[in-house]
Amino acid sequence: MSWTLISIVVFNIVIALVVSLVFVPILVWMERRVAGFIQDRMGPNRCHIGGVRLGGIVQSFADMLKLVFKEDYRPNAVKEKLLFTLSPVIVFITAYLSFMVMPFADDLTVDGKTYIMQALPVDFGLLWILAFTGLGVYGLMLGGWASNNKYSLLGGVRAAAQVISYEAVMGLSLISMLVVYGSIDLGDMVRFQGQLIWGFIPAWGIVIQPVAAILFIVTAFAETNRAPFDIAEGESELVGGFHTEYSAMRFGLFFVGEYIAMGAASAFIVTLFFGGFQIPWLDTVTLKDNIELIFMVMMVIIPIVSYFFAGWMKKNNVWLKADDPRNRETKWLINGLIGINVMIILLLGAFLFFGLGQDGINISVALLQIVTFIVKLLMMNFFFIWVRWTLVRFRYDQLQNLAWKVLLPIAIANIFFTGIFVVLMGV
Amino acid sequence: MGIKVVPRHGKSLKDRLYLPAIAGGMKVTFSHFFKNLKDTSNIKTLNYPEEQPKDITDRYRGVHRLTKREDDSVRCVACFMCATACPADCIFIEATNREDGIDEKMPKKFSIDLLECVFCGGCVEACPCDAIRMDTGIFSFVQKKREDFVVDIDTLLSHEPMKGSKT
Repeated sequence: MSWTLISIVVFNIVIALVVSLVFVPILVWMERRVAGFIQDRMGPNRCHIGGVRLGGIVQSFADMLKLVFKEDYRPNAVKEKLLFTLSPVIVFITAYLSFMVMPFADDLTVDGKTYIMQALPVDFGLLWILAFTGLGVYGLMLGGWASNNKYSLLGGVRAAAQVISYEAVMGLSLISMLVVYGSIDLGDMVRFQGQLIWGFIPAWGIVIQPVAAILFIVTAFAETNRAPFDIAEGESELVGGFHTEYSAMRFGLFFVGEYIAMGAASAFIVTLFFGGFQIPWLDTVTLKDNIELIFMVMMVIIPIVSYFFAGWMKKNNVWLKADDPRNRETKWLINGLIGINVMIILLLGAFLFFGLGQDGINISVALLQIVTFIVKLLMMNFFFIWVRWTLVRFRYDQLQNLAWKVLLPIAIANIFFTGIFVVLMGV
Repeated sequence: MGIKVVPRHGKSLKDRLYLPAIAGGMKVTFSHFFKNLKDTSNIKTLNYPEEQPKDITDRYRGVHRLTKREDDSVRCVACFMCATACPADCIFIEATNREDGIDEKMPKKFSIDLLECVFCGGCVEACPCDAIRMDTGIFSFVQKKREDFVVDIDTLLSHEPMKGSKT
């Protein structure tokens, strides 16, 4: 039980906690602001603590606080009290656990020992995620049934049918990925995507298996009950769907669980199809060999990007009333940005000057890969939000039609052709 | 008797694939998003209360005001035509004798219950002396108690017309 092992385990768990839980307010903020900008309106941007608005992230925390302090009400008509309380818990736990096997960085070698950079360092990540994504729908079904309410029951029934249909398609599209990658370890899959096809195209999942990528992304939307497949909540049809009778923190758990599931689905899609933690064209060995060049490039690029970001903030982050505390925020943020830049430049300069040992290089590479993973995760979450505010909800029969008559045959044909291709290529 | 062939849409391969249509829609949404992100002033939202509405015209029916003659006496002669014309019965007048010899009556009490008022402008149309007008441009009248919404004659006399409206 060396200190290195303990610290790396704790670090992995903290990163997984941060990226899943702390990202929920950030995701809620992104959803509301991006939805506003798409619809030509501002999102929420007024909530401030002492003048600091941070573009509206404080609003998400205010929402969470509101959910905590609201009256926790359980209708008298509910007969199964345990099931009623248990269903949001199931949704939350399964979504949260399915996040825990995502690889954030390549295997870290410190002092000669190699550590797997996942919160749960198991090597059957794919099976774990499939299991827990499938379990999540139990929460919806239980919630719909235990609410003793027609609308909730309909919502739960529809959710169950939808998830079963799309689970079949998801499993089949993953089989073709397994055939290509050759392993169920998520870390192996990401390392496979570091190769280059024909010398210049990164072998990302979406390049080598575009059909499976499209299939999987569509079914990921359906699994997480996310528009255009959100008939379970059906905000305009079924009052609230399965979460009609829930208030305060029970609803908060459903809400947070849904966003964590969206985050987990995004992370899974990034891991399988978009290279995971790999920077394109720079796999781990290349990074470790050229770390000085990369530090120098970072020392140039980060100030330039910060300069343009500061200019954008000065133009857009203004508050119209002159004597309001919110007007001072831009100056503080720009000062903070300058401070961060100075610290980064000093740190990188010190590394370049004094040189890094092998352990230091490995740790810096791991940190770079974690940052890449988070950036890709945020971009995929933006894609989820973008599609939600573009597409109209599917009708129930159109949804089932799509799953059974269109997607399932395509998935089976994909496995067939992938198998033939793989055997012929001898890959 | 001819046969009319109705063109049905949605049968071409591009339509049945569904993905090109989705991509087109997402391009539209993304262009809106990017245009608004680049420069937030492209968004047409009015940041009330820091920005006030710009489309209050001359004919806008705001909170009422009682007009005065050139010698600062009340133009209203307490004829009760506005109170009769009001569909919401929200004008309450008490008449008294006028001292200056031009007319016989003037209002001692003239109050309007702004919570009952439907801002229809019937009182303005009914008044024979152009004594009551609704051109103050005040669209937001906020009080803490229901009783404070009954505006009395001093407040009504003190409301100013909107800038730029004809007197």
